[in-house]
Amino acid sequence: MTPRVSLVGVTFTYPGADRAALAGVTLDIGAGEIVVVAGAAGAGASTLLLVATGLAPRLVGGTLAGQRAIGARRCGIVFARPWTQLTGLCSTVRDEVAFGPASYGLPRETVLAAAERAMQRLGIAHLAARDPAHLSGGELQRVVVASALALEPDLLALDDPAAELDPEAADALYAMLPQLGRAGTAILIATPDLGRATAVATRAVQLEQGRIVRDGSPAEVEA
Amino acid sequence: MIGYVTGRSPLHRAHPYTTLALAGAVLLAAFAMTEPRTVWLLVLAAAALAAVGGVLRSSVRTALLLSLPIWALLFVLYALLGADPRVAFGPLSLSSPGIARALVLGGRVTAIVLSFLTALATTSPHRLVEAMTARGVPFGRTFLLASTLTILPRMRERAAQILEAQQCRGLRLGGSVLARLRALGPLALPLILGALAEVDEQVLALDVRGAAAGARRTAVDPPPDSQIQRALRWSLLLLVTAAYAWKFWSMRG
Amino acid sequence: MTLRDLVLVRLGVAINLVIGQIVVALLLPIYLDSVGTILVAALVGPRAAITAGLVSQVLSAVISGNFSWLPFAVVQIVIALYASVVARLGAFRRLWTAVAAGIGLGLVAASCSAPISYFLFGGVTAGGVTVVTTVLRALGAPLGVAVASASYATDLLDKAIACGLVCVILRGLPRTLAARFPVLAR
Repeated sequence: MTPRVSLVGVTFTYPGADRAALAGVTLDIGAGEIVVVAGAAGAGASTLLLVATGLAPRLVGGTLAGQRAIGARRCGIVFARPWTQLTGLCSTVRDEVAFGPASYGLPRETVLAAAERAMQRLGIAHLAARDPAHLSGGELQRVVVASALALEPDLLALDDPAAELDPEAADALYAMLPQLGRAGTAILIATPDLGRATAVATRAVQLEQGRIVRDGSPAEVEA
Repeated sequence: MIGYVTGRSPLHRAHPYTTLALAGAVLLAAFAMTEPRTVWLLVLAAAALAAVGGVLRSSVRTALLLSLPIWALLFVLYALLGADPRVAFGPLSLSSPGIARALVLGGRVTAIVLSFLTALATTSPHRLVEAMTARGVPFGRTFLLASTLTILPRMRERAAQILEAQQCRGLRLGGSVLARLRALGPLALPLILGALAEVDEQVLALDVRGAAAGARRTAVDPPPDSQIQRALRWSLLLLVTAAYAWKFWSMRG
Repeated sequence: MTLRDLVLVRLGVAINLVIGQIVVALLLPIYLDSVGTILVAALVGPRAAITAGLVSQVLSAVISGNFSWLPFAVVQIVIALYASVVARLGAFRRLWTAVAAGIGLGLVAASCSAPISYFLFGGVTAGGVTVVTTVLRALGAPLGVAVASASYATDLLDKAIACGLVCVILRGLPRTLAARFPVLAR
């Protein structure tokens, strides 16, 4: 089966940076894999997510060397801060979650059904009529994840998704991931919260100064 | 009170473009009118609009409050300091043409402010966004108008937090004009640089959700429109054109 | 405009609308309601800056309720174009050239706003400018002269400080962030 993303010897440098953020990275992510990307700050974990989803260098600039093949039909990404990820256009949670499918011009019924499914998955259907501006950080992050899932991505990147969540909300978020993996979504998680991430991950990759130093079972990385 | 007020009036239920067209017509017509009589007819029309919208009291009150400084300045600039001939008004000697001019200028501002306050009070931002989306208005335009209003409260909050934090670090807000100007940097810079640093993440989040997909966005809740409303909007355009035609014709004659 | 340009325009508009809060706290006799427009002109270009200016004018009216100011949108276009030109000429590389450019911008902006104020509003737009106009008029100046003088005085100061502030912002950008704006490198 075609990997969701295949990187061979990929080096990526941000504009104006002195050194490469990723150096000679070779990595294949297959359907259903849940891969935790571990590394100290500045190791390149977040950058790996951007490169794997095709967002870098397209949207952030910089130079990419090596080979990259993205087999995923659609990619999604979730960042740590929920507020920066809201469109600002939607006065209800339902509309916020429906934004993605609506942006692709899908029929109204399809849009609403996709939004409903995503909200059910994240357990936020009861918030459908609420204004996102008045939600707590934890609720908002679930709205953001639902918004990403509404487009049914083949590859979902999560950059420290539980950073601003309370422990209960963080547990609930990570607990949802194996189900997504079983449905075929490849998931990449960059997070310092190794405890939760390795509990659900099927594989772990460790980065140091932009290079992969370990690629194996989650237990190896946690050790 | 400035902003949307929930309601079920005909204006609330009208297509947002109709309500905005009515306010826009008042704005354009106001500058076509040069006589106090006609301007104040327009003010009455704006008040009638507010009554139809069920927001007469609040809109009139707010409009008067907002135009009060203008009326005060108009009185001084035109009525008191205006040209002859003059009329006695108790102990005051007021300029007759000045009074007429003040009534026109003040009436204009009052009519415009009143009609737009009414439009604002009866047009839900959500319905306006959906109306624009249903009409195929490019994402960029709806994004800029609606999304900016949403991020403002957070930015104001952050500005207040920076102000507090800098004061804790010893920044003084008082003193000479030069000292206060110097304080501008430590207050404005963190706010703006911090916001610039978030731009990448905002762009990425919007992009993956198809904001740049280029497809015609689906309106999930488009407000209903009608032939009558469309005819009304076209009639308003004709009325405004007629008002300007009359103005230029009477200027020539 | 790209999505990035749109997000930057939105930021420019937000800056225009929020920076007044800081100005009020400092009790400065200026508005600084074009800082965002000038910044977008320097970071992106004229089209984005014009958009930022126009949207700011509309939203400012929506927030304050003062919709009679909508005709001043023309001035925003002029500010955006001027700022884009001086940014290309490198005016924001040094503080003194930025302030000088700001004085020039003040002259240009006042030359546009004074006629609008005079012909459409009889010189009365309710603000500090009109108070200055009224004082000059009371001292015997003809209305047209009073309106123009008040506009020039307030705009010169306001735009000089605005451009100075934009210069400081651009120089304060971290290198990696500045590198994201190719326009700055030119």
